[in-house]
Amino acid sequence: MIPLTIISGYLGSGKTTLINQLLKEAEQPIGVLVNDFGELNIDEELINNEDSLTLSLSNGCVCCKLNDDLGISLEKMKELNVVAVVIEASGVAIPIKIANYGLSWPGFRLLGILSLVKGRSLKHLLSDKFVSKTVKAQITQADRVLLNRFKQEEKNMLSELTEDYLTEGEVESYWNLLFKEMAASSRPEITENNHHSIFQSFVLETEKLINKERLESYLNNNTSIERAKGWVRDEKGKTWLLQMTRNDCNFSISNYETATRMVLVHTKDLDIKSLEPVYA
Amino acid sequence: MVGVGGSSPLVSTISLNTFFICYSYLCMIKVYKAKSIITMNPSLPRAEAVAVRDGLILETGSLDSMKPWLENNDYEIDEQFKDSIIVPGLIDPHLHPSMAAVLLPTFFITAMEWKFPWGDTPATTSPEDYDKRLKEALTNPTHKDIFITWGHHDLWHGPMSRSRLNKIESNRPIVVWNRSFHELCMNDGALDYLGITEDDVKGASQIDFERGRFFELGLGYAIQKLNPYILDPDKFKEGLLKLKEVVHYGGQTTIADMAVGLFDFDNELNTQFALYENDDNPFRVELIAHATALIQHAGGSNIEAEKLISELPARNTHRLNFRKRVKLFTDGAFFAQVAQLMEPGYIDGHEGEWLSTPEQFEEVARIYWNKGYAIHVHVTGDLGLELAIDTLEKLQFEKPRFNHGFTLEHFGLSNPEQVHRLSKLGANVSANAYYVHELSDLYANHTVGFERASSMSRIGSCFREGVTTSLHSDFTMAPAQPLMSMWVAVNRINEKGFLMSAEERISPQQGMEAITINAARVLGLDHEIGSIRAGKKADFTVLAQDPLEVDPVTIKDIKIEATLFEGKVFPISNR
Repeated sequence: MIPLTIISGYLGSGKTTLINQLLKEAEQPIGVLVNDFGELNIDEELINNEDSLTLSLSNGCVCCKLNDDLGISLEKMKELNVVAVVIEASGVAIPIKIANYGLSWPGFRLLGILSLVKGRSLKHLLSDKFVSKTVKAQITQADRVLLNRFKQEEKNMLSELTEDYLTEGEVESYWNLLFKEMAASSRPEITENNHHSIFQSFVLETEKLINKERLESYLNNNTSIERAKGWVRDEKGKTWLLQMTRNDCNFSISNYETATRMVLVHTKDLDIKSLEPVYA
Repeated sequence: MVGVGGSSPLVSTISLNTFFICYSYLCMIKVYKAKSIITMNPSLPRAEAVAVRDGLILETGSLDSMKPWLENNDYEIDEQFKDSIIVPGLIDPHLHPSMAAVLLPTFFITAMEWKFPWGDTPATTSPEDYDKRLKEALTNPTHKDIFITWGHHDLWHGPMSRSRLNKIESNRPIVVWNRSFHELCMNDGALDYLGITEDDVKGASQIDFERGRFFELGLGYAIQKLNPYILDPDKFKEGLLKLKEVVHYGGQTTIADMAVGLFDFDNELNTQFALYENDDNPFRVELIAHATALIQHAGGSNIEAEKLISELPARNTHRLNFRKRVKLFTDGAFFAQVAQLMEPGYIDGHEGEWLSTPEQFEEVARIYWNKGYAIHVHVTGDLGLELAIDTLEKLQFEKPRFNHGFTLEHFGLSNPEQVHRLSKLGANVSANAYYVHELSDLYANHTVGFERASSMSRIGSCFREGVTTSLHSDFTMAPAQPLMSMWVAVNRINEKGFLMSAEERISPQQGMEAITINAARVLGLDHEIGSIRAGKKADFTVLAQDPLEVDPVTIKDIKIEATLFEGKVFPISNR
């Protein structure tokens, strides 16, 4: 299984810069797939110097094009001797949809989603008429968020959406960040239970108080849920930071006070009504 | 600048040729009599006869009124349509020949009835009937290598699986392709034939090897294996020839390929030129390039793509023409429920998709706007539409243009304020009315609720706001039958039989405008086609009944008897 990492983030968030940096650091050949229209911005010399393969893909659904560029490129990657593949998602991609390739394309294993945020544009993007939801999805669906070019104010703004972020200065090696750290926290291999499904995400925002124990048992016992994260406010008025993967469900006290707000990554057959018992 | 001396001999050669042709039989005036002619010329809406010479209309009116033309010329009166109704040649301003070419060679087994020149596909509405029909179809020897059928729908036909197919036939390769295009199922024979093994697809979450099912991204994997068969050049040709029959059967004399470059620019174009540019082809094809698909083809940038598109008219022939038009996209597909919606969004909270960032869309639109193109924009949700309208407003402020042909294509969801704004900005609308028929019930109950679902394809408002509005099929998203599109727009009856927003219905007169003169305007061809008046091309569609007089709920059942393309009659067989 070839490890696969998704790099997402809005236009101008620094995805290409990161990939160029990664190509410089790479000691072994990696594959880079760029899921965007038009112009390729990867430094040509880097591609020529490494054995890495860079392909440009276009957006669009297989049903309209009868052609799945991303899938075809992943097949090509299998034939090459690459140790890992990075997909640079388009600026408007919903990352979880691209991540589904890592879960569903034969021969690949998804390590995770890294989303980039340019601090300077955050305020403007989060209130943009057209893309605010897309940008929020890019932040909340990511396993890690990398914040660059920011002021304290923007850092605060981001921490209202996620606590899984680090800043530019904290990264020593992109290689380690993308393939070692992500691997350590990556999803386990697909089990028979969710074998038939496509993943979706759902944001639960509620003023209702939550019983933490019942939520934990719900998350642990519900095989339709792949991942959950966010804040949970319990009946004692405490806010908890929730991090749940298939391996682990972890609550830690949050220093940020908020009503319950969490993202659930789940399979199509999740019945939202089944959440009822978790309320206090 | 070419010197006068150099060009004049050429000019005189051409006029000599024309002179010569005019003495041949082509120059004879032919007068077609009809029970009634619906001209769509507001100054003379009805006529009894039309005089045609050399592919052009000379005069409409009565035999009496056209006497001055007939007195000093050879003429012939043709009465073969004397009991029929003649309307302007019908126009479908948005379909996809390449997509149709892939689908038409497959065998249709569908829940809805589809009418084709080679026979109707009856409605198959139960699992038992589905299996029976598949069994019968397998006796057909024409699908030799791999048998692909399209149209399966769980709701009607029950869940599909490898074992179910194996019971019918396990050796011969069979592929069942879902109506939604998002899923397919294979029997043992097909998995063997395509060399797909359990090991290959282990762990893939959207491939169910046991049940032979491939869906969503798993479908991408299967399609990639199938592409050598479905995109095989001979199959592709067969598909385009079938489309030729379909277009004629629907009574169309002009169609537009609204995204040239969808699969493979050169192949799509060369095959269409080879098959459609000949005298037995009863229609013309307007070619509109897919701007983003051509970027890589052109060398990597939008500027280069524009340059390539600007040179395409050099390849024009008589029937197939590029003009100064281009196709752009904002949001995702309507059938796949990834249209971008304004608040309150989708009931289940899922998000729509953008096909590029709004910034990129604006940048590309600006390039083409400033160079004077008519821009056709695929918009499906109200937020996708909003982006197109906002962009047009900016461009109008920067560089005002009149009669610019900016056209909103598909027009799934919208609101009345948007219709008003787009009207003020001078935009046209080319709507897919069939959404109302096929999707409004589903959207009302599961997707966006009744209020918004009932007013999808808000065509009545467009007419009230004075927007030039046409109807299209986006074939294979809807049948390539303009009378069917007109029927939906006039009646707004969905597949469950419910009326969806009586206020958004249009009159039969407006419906007829939408598939003739307005469709011609949307393609910038209203000076040549779209109505029956002196000087226009003699493109007609001959109907058994009068679409403005029949009970409107029967419009879709009107029999199409023939078409005339530039004066030449192409009968439609009675089957």
